[in-house]
Amino acid sequence: MLTTARVLSTRLLQVIIVALVVMIGTSLLVRLVPGDAARTILGDKASPGALDALRQTLGLDRPIAEQIFISIGRLVQGDLGTSFNFRGQTVTSLIVPALLVTACLAALAILLSLLVGIPLGLGLALVRSSGADLLGRLSLTVLVALPSFMAGLILLYLVSIRLRIAPAGGWAGSWPSNFGYIWLPAVALSLYLGPLIARTVRQAALETIQQPFVEAARARGVSRHRVIICHVLPNAALPVIPLVGFNAGVMVSGAVTVEAIFALPGLGAQLVQAMGTRDFPIVQGIALLTAVSVVVFNLLADLLNLSVDPRLRSR
Amino acid sequence: MTAEVTTKLDDEAVRRPLTPRRVELLVGLTLIAAVVLACLVVPLINKTDPNALVAAPLQPPSGAHPFGTDQVGRDVFIRVFTAGRVDLTLAALGVIVPLFLGTVIGTIVGASRRRAVDVVTMRLTDGIIAFPFVVLVLVVVLIVGADTQIPPLPAGGASILVAVWVVNWTIYARIARARTHVLREEDFVAAGRLLGFSRRRIVMRHLLPSVWPATATYAVSDALLLVALIAGLPFLGAGIQPPTPEWGSIMYEGRAVLTQAWWISLTTAGVVLVLGTGVMLTVDSLIANPRRVRIP
Repeated sequence: MLTTARVLSTRLLQVIIVALVVMIGTSLLVRLVPGDAARTILGDKASPGALDALRQTLGLDRPIAEQIFISIGRLVQGDLGTSFNFRGQTVTSLIVPALLVTACLAALAILLSLLVGIPLGLGLALVRSSGADLLGRLSLTVLVALPSFMAGLILLYLVSIRLRIAPAGGWAGSWPSNFGYIWLPAVALSLYLGPLIARTVRQAALETIQQPFVEAARARGVSRHRVIICHVLPNAALPVIPLVGFNAGVMVSGAVTVEAIFALPGLGAQLVQAMGTRDFPIVQGIALLTAVSVVVFNLLADLLNLSVDPRLRSR
Repeated sequence: MTAEVTTKLDDEAVRRPLTPRRVELLVGLTLIAAVVLACLVVPLINKTDPNALVAAPLQPPSGAHPFGTDQVGRDVFIRVFTAGRVDLTLAALGVIVPLFLGTVIGTIVGASRRRAVDVVTMRLTDGIIAFPFVVLVLVVVLIVGADTQIPPLPAGGASILVAVWVVNWTIYARIARARTHVLREEDFVAAGRLLGFSRRRIVMRHLLPSVWPATATYAVSDALLLVALIAGLPFLGAGIQPPTPEWGSIMYEGRAVLTQAWWISLTTAGVVLVLGTGVMLTVDSLIANPRRVRIP
């Protein structure tokens, strides 16, 4: 149990460090803009009065250290500030609905990748014809090489425009009917993680089959199927946990671009809008939320790994 | 005399067995070379300006315009391969600097016997790696400005490179550190210490030459990740600014007219996919593939 405590403390420390780095970095964001930040935000035609007012709200008239402390103090209380462009709306109230859409998309894609990737990898390791193995391996290689947003473009064309099975983007706004809009983006996103999982499982399964305990089980008269399900599968599926954890950041990056292609109202759309209008608090909030959720996700993956693999605990 | 030497070498080359792994490597390198060469050669042979309006808009692929024309009547074929120069150059610059920086930092940290150095660097890299890359790039783009131009880079290129350099050295540093930890227990490093060589000399002359291959192998797949990242940015309102042709912006502009003209986005995607498959095959051939065995 010693390692659980160690992993937990290391990861928690990481969460805190990441949050601090992001907070300091994003608090400095407005300061780092070359030239006059207020003028950059309001544009060249702004009146001197409006510029002064904005400088005051942004706290640009105070020393940098004070600004950072103030914004960190607010962030700790969960206050991400207010949007520049939607006056009076807090960043939290704008981001949270978008975050939910992105989280749903990512969760659905991860689920899909696991459901298809693990059996596919195991199947490729066990298939008797080396031709089928080669074909499977090559297709997986091509799919891993395909960036998520390009998979999205190709699926959008084939499935939505040619076959007309799915809408070409959009959002229903209410829950069961949203699935009609989210399943195709989720498939596009899983076309990266799924093949990655299948490749890893195939590799791990081939290594497991060579272990003496598999031969021992067969010698004891355990059936082939039982050996595959009870002995090979659990060992082959183990490396998937850290793999998914490690790819959490990649999934967020992928989800954000795939959303942009399918016009889903997620963080991607929020980012595009905030980038276009130079809405610093929104970008700041999204950066903080995504970074912290990736670290928390990694923490969960580590804990899950420890709880399912007793070999890691005994050391 | 010279002829004899050549035949001898050729014979030796032929004698090396063509294992599946070597086939994988050769096919991979051929695909990469094909895309890189096309990007170098096509704009040289066909001197059409990639921004010139050469035909009616949205013409499907034909003999005169192999990839068709886009929504204002520019030749997509010329644009895709001219764009490749921008993407490949940015990806190369984005890989080489962090490869160098990260390898040196990682080796020094790995060789250092001070725990504090190791802990601080590793926590720092943890923090940076945790960041979703796209979000971090967008933050940097927002600071530097989406259309800031620093010659000779195209508008928008500078902010991408800054962001990539800030982030990417961390992965190389971690690979180099792990490799150094293995190497520093080896006899040749101990021998160097016993001979009284300075730490600096051991790092530069003994450790670094053995650390490079590990980080350089990762650099190959990292270049592909970068191409995907750079090409994804226009979909988020950042990236290389038009009218400079770039793979991502061509696909982004093509997305708007995907219903009428598939060829703008999908031919570009095809070229990137050929490059990507080449990279993945090359990387796979460098990584050990376990023997296929059956359950007894």
